[in-house]
Amino acid sequence: MAKKLSAGSIASLIGAAALIFASIKFPWWGMKFYAPQYMEGLDIIVYPSKLAGDIDIVNGLNHYIGMAPFSNESFPELQYLPGLIMGLAAIIIIVALVRKKSLLYVPPALLIVGGALGIYDMNRWLTKFGTELDPKAPIELEPFVPPIIGENILANFVTHSYFTTGSFLLGAGFLLTLLPFWLERRK
Amino acid sequence: MKKWVPAASGLLAGFMAATVFFADFSTGPKGTASNDTANKSNAEKVYVPYGELDEYYMLSSGGHSGQLFVYGLPSMRKIRTVPVFTPDPATGYGFDTKSKEMLGGYTWGDFHHPAISETDGEYDGKFVFANDVANNRIAAVDLSTFHTADIMEMPNMGGPHAGTFVTQNTEYIVMPTRFSVPIGKEYAPLDEFEEKYKGVVSMVTFDQEKKDFDLAYQIMLPPWSYDLSDAGKKVSGDWIVMTTYNTEFATTNNEINASQNDRDYIVLLNWKELEKKVAAGEYEEVNGAKMIDPRKHKGSIYALPVAKSPHGVDVTPDGTRFIASGKLAPLMTVFSFEKAFEAIKAGDFETEKFGIPVLPYDKVVEREVDPPGALGPLHTQFDDRGNAYNTMFISSEIVKWKVETGEILDRTPVHYSPGHSTATEGDTASPDGKWIVSLNKIAKDNFLSVGPSHPESMELIDISGDKMSLTYTAPVDPEPHYAQTIHRDKIKTIKIYEKDENREHSVWKQEDTRIERKGNEVHVYGIAMRSKFVFDAKAERPDEIKVKQGDKVIIHLTNIDLDQDITHGFGIMDHDLNYEVQPGQTSTIEFTAEKAGTFPIYCTNFCSALHQEMSGYMLVEPK
Repeated sequence: MAKKLSAGSIASLIGAAALIFASIKFPWWGMKFYAPQYMEGLDIIVYPSKLAGDIDIVNGLNHYIGMAPFSNESFPELQYLPGLIMGLAAIIIIVALVRKKSLLYVPPALLIVGGALGIYDMNRWLTKFGTELDPKAPIELEPFVPPIIGENILANFVTHSYFTTGSFLLGAGFLLTLLPFWLERRK
Repeated sequence: MKKWVPAASGLLAGFMAATVFFADFSTGPKGTASNDTANKSNAEKVYVPYGELDEYYMLSSGGHSGQLFVYGLPSMRKIRTVPVFTPDPATGYGFDTKSKEMLGGYTWGDFHHPAISETDGEYDGKFVFANDVANNRIAAVDLSTFHTADIMEMPNMGGPHAGTFVTQNTEYIVMPTRFSVPIGKEYAPLDEFEEKYKGVVSMVTFDQEKKDFDLAYQIMLPPWSYDLSDAGKKVSGDWIVMTTYNTEFATTNNEINASQNDRDYIVLLNWKELEKKVAAGEYEEVNGAKMIDPRKHKGSIYALPVAKSPHGVDVTPDGTRFIASGKLAPLMTVFSFEKAFEAIKAGDFETEKFGIPVLPYDKVVEREVDPPGALGPLHTQFDDRGNAYNTMFISSEIVKWKVETGEILDRTPVHYSPGHSTATEGDTASPDGKWIVSLNKIAKDNFLSVGPSHPESMELIDISGDKMSLTYTAPVDPEPHYAQTIHRDKIKTIKIYEKDENREHSVWKQEDTRIERKGNEVHVYGIAMRSKFVFDAKAERPDEIKVKQGDKVIIHLTNIDLDQDITHGFGIMDHDLNYEVQPGQTSTIEFTAEKAGTFPIYCTNFCSALHQEMSGYMLVEPK
């Protein structure tokens, strides 16, 4: 394992870092709400740094079931997530520049751990908002946990949760961190 | 008795009986209900299935209802009534402070002729202007919200019937008067009609950014009645043409006395020239208006004789001709702008009336079009293939004819007595030529009876082919005069009023709501949202307004539901007060709490599942 990383592997890792860095500017996850009177759908769109979409309208409707209103301020992650992502991209670039084969395990490992933590965190928030419903709400509802991905039916709403551009960039970045293992295989 | 007699008389009796029972002696037009194939294809033409939208907006005047009616074409479905000159509790128009002030205490108006704002002689879909013949006002409706944005009252006028028409880039909105009155409407006996009474044309400008009217100047004309007008296009873009009647100066029984002259006049105005003269200070200040008197400043106003008591005058899409409809003379007269310009250039004038040079009829006329038996031509619309369509009030029909040749191409009966008609973009520089709607004054037996008086009727006619095809009929409340039909792509509405934290009196967060007392004034800064009112977030009951008897109460309400079509109403019981706030809108009402007592407040515009709970109380403590 004394051999240094090939040019292809370095390019692959730098590409991965670039994709992961770029993902900051794209939405990662979203939830779309459809109802008979919202044929066009209402959006919650989550960027690493902010929420977008019809947040006020969704909050307005959620108050009927006693869900707490949410905004950028509700999620401290949105403050430091872009920093973490940039750090991750930087680490991958360092691995590329150091050119040590043994360090090749670092980027995918970090991504797997980070991804798992991310999913855990999302699920924590979804559970919190879905289950801590105000008991005085006009419409009484069994506590629920909206799925991270896929369809859910809630009163007159059908919700679709989905990963989007930013997550796909992240996924592509992850694949690029695996590519060097194939490139560096024993010939 | 011969043998054949009983046989023959038997046969005869049989025929007579059969004739009595089965023959059809009815006269008059036959319905088309049995014409199955034609009806099926007509039905398909007007059917707009769920999920699709009409292709055109028809913006129709509402006459003495003072409202604007919005219809969709080709379905002929009524989409909205927009209050313009008349208060409307359903929207709070005339109840909230701003619109109340705009209406100026009037409770009705007489809206005849809508004019959509234009750019290069085409509708631009930004505003529609409205005239009030009854109270000398002009209004602008903002087509991004379909709300009335401004109303202005004009001095020196006797009912601007001959408006509203815009010049080709909406430089001016032209408002000529119908009744002549003494300047300033001062007292003057009718015996002094010719000397003291004047017909005034108002030239109005509109600032589209500030949504604000201004009276640029007025033109003093003889005490004729000005009936309708139109602005030129392209080569004739600097000109305005107006029809006149009562050049007899009749002051009583006008039905007879104003119909004596064989010829009345079309007045031609060069607004560009007049504008220069006004800019050069050639005007007098009369009751706050810059008045220009053609007797003193010649060269921009001309008169042209025309068959007696003409009604409409319409400029062709290419701007080269104007067509006068005879009303009492059963013909349309086609005049050439170019010929008129030549006569003006050559100084070729027949005579002078009221200081206005009169152009020679023979040298300006191009042709008279007189369809046999067609009576009472009133107005002209156009298609994209060089054809004109005239409504015939008396013979109840629309006549299609070729402008270039005067050839009559088709005629179709309408039911009954059409005033104006409106073709798709039919008075612009490029008409669409798809539909024409005949705005009929009399419906009689068209619809289920609702008593002695019936609705008016609007008949949709397909003009896309060589022959016109009567397709559909819809009833309408009194009373459309003119309407304009604009393609839907040209109208860009907003979905909500954008959140604007700097807006005066607006509140956007529940916690910012408050009730402030200033002496005997109580100012409420509240919000409406699904499904509650919040007037004072810090109060024990945030939806309670407590005042003292005799207090002046000012309620500013912002609808913070920034969601399309979530409108909240606000009604206070026993106070004759109701208004609405549309999504993102802030509106104010003011009143004096004269009655002590307890008065429920509630949302009047159904907003949500808990709309019924959206309520509060106003408590007025006795003195």
